[in-house]
Amino acid sequence: MTTPTIDDLQAITEQVWLSYLDPEGITPFLPSEESPGMPCVLATVSVTGAWDGHVVMTFSQKASRLSASALLGMEEEEVSIDDIADAVGELVNVIGGNVKSLLPDGSLLSLPHVATIDEGVNKWPAAVEVCRLQGSWQNEPIAITVLTSKSSG
Amino acid sequence: MKILIADDSRVMRQIVTRTLRQAGFGGHELIEAADGREAHDLAISQKPDLVLSDWNMPEMTGIEVLRALRAGGVDVPFGFVTSEGTDEMRKMAEQAGALFLITKPFTADNFTDVLGPILG
Repeated sequence: MTTPTIDDLQAITEQVWLSYLDPEGITPFLPSEESPGMPCVLATVSVTGAWDGHVVMTFSQKASRLSASALLGMEEEEVSIDDIADAVGELVNVIGGNVKSLLPDGSLLSLPHVATIDEGVNKWPAAVEVCRLQGSWQNEPIAITVLTSKSSG
Repeated sequence: MKILIADDSRVMRQIVTRTLRQAGFGGHELIEAADGREAHDLAISQKPDLVLSDWNMPEMTGIEVLRALRAGGVDVPFGFVTSEGTDEMRKMAEQAGALFLITKPFTADNFTDVLGPILG
């Protein structure tokens, strides 16, 4: 079975940044060891069917606001909570859709789910990590993780 | 020409609008639908010349919208703008009568190549 790799995630992420978040190539997403801590904004899509799992994007709060600002062409202080949820939801939808293209036919992609986590832990008890790309954009941490259900992996 | 943009994300509707302008199609009248049901209803009531539709939307998916329109005798030119571009979905889109499937992320060049022959 084809399984997404960190190289796949990096290629997809580069395309998304060049198309939407950094069309001039001035502020690329830079892979790094830094991981978003708490509080954070979590955007996920699930894949079900021939392959079961999740694609999860984790943003620092500032990174989520910057994303909405860039996608909507608005000043950072002008974006609302709804704008942020829409923007990060669409980003994970695009990345998730491209990840799904690497998976076997017969899988379905869910609509995005977005949540803000202020403290505590972020657990996916029935899933294992397939690959993870973490880095920073405009000095703010963002991570993209592909998880598969234990029964599917 | 009148173009209906159907996507449940306001951000993506705005990006599609911006990309149409960048691709040189800024002079057309644009209308928007925020879910599949609204897309279906507007495609009938507003009689657009082209529908650009997301696939994965609440209420009705894009492919359900297209099938319902065709079943109702509405033959408006219809294409998908979606994050999912598998061969399986392209085949499904084509069989339902879609003219094209543009995958996200897209660029203005993608729009020019695909929409140029349709919008002139």
